[in-house]
Amino acid sequence: MGIETDNKEIISSIRENAKLLLSENQVDVIIGYSEGTVPLSSTPIIIRKEEDVDKLIWNNLCYINLARYLAPLMPQLCDSEGNSLKIGIVAKGCVGRAVNLLAVEKQIDLDNIKMIGFNCNGIVNRSKIDLEIGEKEILDVSISGDDIIVKGHNWEKKFPYDQYINELCKVCQIKSPSATDANCIGECQELESIHDEFSDIAEFESKSADEKWAYIKDALQVCTLCYSCRQACPMCYCNLCFVDQNMPTWFGKTTQFTDIFTFHLIRAQHLAGRCVACGACSSVCPVGIDLNIITRKLEKIAKERFDYTSGLNAETIPPMMDFKMEDEEEFMLEED
Amino acid sequence: MDQKRLKKDQIGKLYNELVGEYDFYAPINKKGNIAFEKIENPEDIVLDYLNSKIPPKSVLFPQNEVLFEYTLDEKDVEITDRQDLEQKILIFGIRPCDAYSFELFANFFSFHGDWKDDIYLKKKENTTLIGIGCNTPKTTCFCTSVNGNPFKKDNMDVFLTDLGDTYLVEGISDKGKGMVQKLSWLSDASKDDLKKAEELAKIAEESITTKIDVDTVVKNLETCFEHPVWDEISESCIGCGSCAYLCPTCTCFDVIDETDHYNNRGRRIRIWDTCQSCLYTLETSGHNPRDTKIQRCRNRIMHKFSYYPTNYDLLGCVGCGRCVYVCPANNDLRVILDKINKIEEKEDEKVVA
Repeated sequence: MGIETDNKEIISSIRENAKLLLSENQVDVIIGYSEGTVPLSSTPIIIRKEEDVDKLIWNNLCYINLARYLAPLMPQLCDSEGNSLKIGIVAKGCVGRAVNLLAVEKQIDLDNIKMIGFNCNGIVNRSKIDLEIGEKEILDVSISGDDIIVKGHNWEKKFPYDQYINELCKVCQIKSPSATDANCIGECQELESIHDEFSDIAEFESKSADEKWAYIKDALQVCTLCYSCRQACPMCYCNLCFVDQNMPTWFGKTTQFTDIFTFHLIRAQHLAGRCVACGACSSVCPVGIDLNIITRKLEKIAKERFDYTSGLNAETIPPMMDFKMEDEEEFMLEED
Repeated sequence: MDQKRLKKDQIGKLYNELVGEYDFYAPINKKGNIAFEKIENPEDIVLDYLNSKIPPKSVLFPQNEVLFEYTLDEKDVEITDRQDLEQKILIFGIRPCDAYSFELFANFFSFHGDWKDDIYLKKKENTTLIGIGCNTPKTTCFCTSVNGNPFKKDNMDVFLTDLGDTYLVEGISDKGKGMVQKLSWLSDASKDDLKKAEELAKIAEESITTKIDVDTVVKNLETCFEHPVWDEISESCIGCGSCAYLCPTCTCFDVIDETDHYNNRGRRIRIWDTCQSCLYTLETSGHNPRDTKIQRCRNRIMHKFSYYPTNYDLLGCVGCGRCVYVCPANNDLRVILDKINKIEEKEDEKVVA
């Protein structure tokens, strides 16, 4: 019953489809998830041979958005001439969204990509569990029925699954890739539009400007600028990030609050209407900073103003990259 | 007698006695992350932690550090050197692996005596380490494979052992012995205390089950620079800097100038760098000898397990396991080293086949 059973079904469908794609030579490699070596983790893996498909897994700790390895395309996914191999990618809904958006932004050629779709059942909020356990070593994490069971040396704690998944996952409307059968094997759906209440950011929105500022300041006080949020983001694929530009240097790289805040603020702006709501930025943060509410807020604005949801298909251009004569400009300041 | 006992509720008293003389750094819980910070209130000190998320290297080698400040006029540059290097520093509650990392730092920051980083070395000279043994090492710990031990006292000035309701206090270095003697209110430790501390040390050492054959790693690295194993090792890496920033032995830094043009002044700062960054070793010509993550991941391993042994006759890893559990992609160092160790076996198999 519950999540545990769902996962078993998902795993067997992923393996079956991966095997099919490899055996029919539809793809050269499969990129998917394998079992992690420490609790609360999983490891992305590249599968090249049919007999290795049993290494592929799905559990609710597969938080990396695998589309992240497609742009810039990592060398392991290229042939000896540097051309893209045919790639199969294990795709939950937000991976599918990222793949679509990367295609729109001309970073990948969809002809080389085949998604192995399935209905994602959410990602466990690692830092929330870590924070509640505190300074005790977690030795094992498993799911039994609808509970996350966390075990240590002589102790055990249960967390109700539906409360301990990412806030984003609680309201997610796109659980399987939005794709056609032509570029997806397994579960997929063709979506024109979705109805998202954005209730995950309601609490943050209700704060005053001062309270929001205090919240962000507090969240960022532990940031080490390791850039794992940027590196994990499937939509942060610039060859040279604005913070890394040093001829001339545009932004400071110290851990003074202004530098840290500027990085996070501008990264969020670059993702305006482009966030695919995978939550990888928060899941990978080594110090547990959860600030995807900012990109979610921008996603909401893009939805309200332009009726745009990123990654629903591989054609619609994101609003910040597009221009339409009929765009309303009511936010422009009028001259007196 | 050099062995004393400190009651757990006497940490505040110890702090109050030493804070006048030293900048007192100790582990605190910062939003769920243990980090070494300058203590204002002794009640913030956390000693029953597993290991700190941010290593205590941040005290002596902070993430950004002003090297000097300068003012400019039309002709001259006037440089103001650091004035605070004589300040005494105390790092309280440091773990043996992290204390050992300062031994590696000493080599890096003085490079065989050919070149000396005065700022780091001066601060280290003025630093006293009061360490604490690890009663419960994590399963990701492997210090015993890399010349360490959960109760290694060599790099400490004073060593604490958590005996339950008290700490056993031992002066290790001359500096540490002097400090313990000065704390005249500490009561003498009993024979039972010493016996218990020994038992705890034994249990802790035995509890470290991860064993890595580092000799083979070092040997294999000599010949595997171009080996395809690096493709596999770097496969899942997302190229962030968490492994390096949270590594107690990573010392690479970048140097930047912050100039205030309006006031004709500026400062030169060093900031942590990481070999996983695309800017690392980027040359002025635009060429980067390490421009893919395959080369960057290789550099990280080579630096710790090949270049360090070659240059300093020491391993560049203290086995704290931080990189193992903070890696977002779970690219586990233990697995990486295992793959390197198996290189030859695989080649032997090929020959047989």
